[in-house]
Amino acid sequence: MTERPGDCTLGEALIYQIARTIEDGILAFHGFGSPLVQLALHLAKRTHAPNLVLVAGATYGVNPAPPFLTPTSNDWAMNRGAECHLSIDELFDLAAAGRLGRMFLSGLQIDRRGNLNVTRLGRERMSLKLPGGGGGGNLSCDARRITLWTAAHRAPPDQSGRRRFRLVERCDFITSLGHGVPGGAQRGRLGHIGQGPDWLITELGVFDFDENGQARLAALYPDVGLDELRASTGFELVARDDLASIPLPTAEMAACIRALDPLRIHERELRPEDRARRFELEA
Amino acid sequence: MNVPLHTQPDKLTDLPGLAAHVSAGDCVAVGGGLSWREPMAVLRELVRRRVGGLRLIGSAHGIDVDLLCGAGLVAASGESYVGFEQDFGMAPNYRRACESGAVAVEDNCCYTLVQQLRAAIAGLPFMPMRSMRGTGFMDLHPEFKTLRCPYTGEELVLVPALRPDVAILHAQYGDAHGNLRIEGPPVADVLFAKASRRVIATVEQILPTDRLAEMGVSIPYFYVTALAEVPHGAHPTACYPFYAYDRRHTAEYYRLAAQGAEAFREGYLQTYVHDCPTEADYLRAIGGPASLERLASWQESPESWRALYD
Repeated sequence: MTERPGDCTLGEALIYQIARTIEDGILAFHGFGSPLVQLALHLAKRTHAPNLVLVAGATYGVNPAPPFLTPTSNDWAMNRGAECHLSIDELFDLAAAGRLGRMFLSGLQIDRRGNLNVTRLGRERMSLKLPGGGGGGNLSCDARRITLWTAAHRAPPDQSGRRRFRLVERCDFITSLGHGVPGGAQRGRLGHIGQGPDWLITELGVFDFDENGQARLAALYPDVGLDELRASTGFELVARDDLASIPLPTAEMAACIRALDPLRIHERELRPEDRARRFELEA
Repeated sequence: MNVPLHTQPDKLTDLPGLAAHVSAGDCVAVGGGLSWREPMAVLRELVRRRVGGLRLIGSAHGIDVDLLCGAGLVAASGESYVGFEQDFGMAPNYRRACESGAVAVEDNCCYTLVQQLRAAIAGLPFMPMRSMRGTGFMDLHPEFKTLRCPYTGEELVLVPALRPDVAILHAQYGDAHGNLRIEGPPVADVLFAKASRRVIATVEQILPTDRLAEMGVSIPYFYVTALAEVPHGAHPTACYPFYAYDRRHTAEYYRLAAQGAEAFREGYLQTYVHDCPTEADYLRAIGGPASLERLASWQESPESWRALYD
C-alpha cells in the first residue's frame, strides 16, 4: 500500500496504539513473529520513551537499529547496531526477577479476562494445532505489565452464517495467563510478579481492564461503530462512559514507521480489506 | 546420572558419521531457531536414513521441525513454537502431524525449558520457578509439581531435569577437537550442548585450534561428540556472515507442504532429500553457485540485503 501525505494507514495507527502503552525507562521485549509490536517499540524509543531498554525477540539484541524490518525475527538485520546481547536464559531470568516492565502477547483466542490461546483449538478433540506461545506462558506471569493485541478482531460471518470470534467468552486452552479463569485460580491469589494485561489493542478498538480484571472498551477507531464492534466480540461488551476515539499518530511518527519498515512487513498481519483503511494524521 | 565427557582428540567425521549418533526414539534438541542457523543438513541426513520416533524439545522453531514431521520421523513435540512467523504462517506438516495424532503434543514454554535444561546441567533433579501457574501447561504436563517454599511460604512450580539424548547443532566454526564457535544469537544452543548426553555438529569451516581459541569458543570440545565440515549446512535458514535466509526456497517448501502430505513427500522430500544422496547434490538442486552467491550478496549493501526478502 502506498502512503499518502496527510493520512496514516490502519497498520500505522495500530502501531501507535501499542507504542502508547510503553513507559519510558522500562525494559521491554517484543518476542518474535509480531512486526506491529517490533515497530511499536522502535517508535516508542524514538519518540516518548528514549530510555526504553528495547530487547529484540529472537536475537535478544539490546537497542538494535535494524536497517529494515525482515519477515522473520531471528535475522542479523534485526540485530544490527545492538549495544549488547542477552542470552535466552538471561532474558527470562530478568523477567522472573521482576525486571521486565512490559511484554506484548497475542493469540487466536483472547477472553474477556485477557487469557490467551495460541496452543490449540478444540477442548476434547484438537481441531486445529496452533504454533504455540513461545515464552508467553512464562512472561504472562512474570512481566510487570502486558499489552495484548490482535489485528483480527473483526469476525465476519462465514458461509454458514457462523462468526468465529477472536475475542471469546472462554479460551480452549490457556497458553498465557490474563487475570484468571472463571471458576479457577485468580491472578491475585497465584502470587505472580506480573500484574497482568492492562491494555488490549485491536484493529477495531482499544480496551483497558477494570478493577475486576475485565476488558472494557476505552476507545474506538474513527471508522468503526459500537454495534459493529459488539457484533465481532464473543463476550458481552462493556464500554467506558467516557468512550473516546483513538489518538492518531503525527506525520513524524508515520514517517518513522515507514522508514523502519520499507517492505511493509507489518501489513502481513492485517487482513487485505483492513490495509485500505486510512485515518487523518494528528497535526 | 553419568554424563560422558567427550575427550577424543579428533572428532571429524562426515554427515553419515554424525547421523549414526542419533537413534530411533531419541530425545533430540535441535539448535538454532526460527529461520536462523538450523542444522538442516543433519536433519536431511536423518530423513534419508529414516531415523524415526524422535521426541523433540526446543524453543522457537520452524522449517526444521516441520521437515522432520513431514518425513514422519517425529513421535512427540515439546517445542514452544513451531511456525513460519508472519512470513508464511502456520507450519503445515507439523499441524497435520499433531492434528492426526501422529505427533504427541507436549508443548512447552521457553523459560520452563531453560529451567529444565539448567537442572540437567547442574546435576539436579528439578528447578523451581514461579511462572506458569494458572496456564494450561500445568495440566498438559502432569510431571510439573508445585511446592510450598520452605523459606518464603510462597507456592512454586518444580520442573524436572530434561536431558536430551542428543543435541544437533550448526555453528560457523569448529576445530577437529570439537570446540565450536557460534557468531550471533546462540539461541539455546549452549544450554542444549551442556544438558545433552551427546552433541553432534556441522560447521561452515573447520579451523586450527589456536585460531579458534583466538576468536573465542562458545561450546568447549568436551561436550561435543562428533562434528563435520558441511558448508551451507543450515540452508535454507540463515548462517551469517556466510549466507542469509533463503526466502525463495522456503516459499517453495511452504507451497509444497501446504498442498498436503503426499505433495510434500513427492514434491519436496523426493526432489531435495531422497534424490540428493549428498549435500553437494542438494546444493546443485537448490540452484548451485548462482543461488549461493545470491544468498551471500547480503554483505554488498543494505539494498542487496533487502532484495533477498522481496
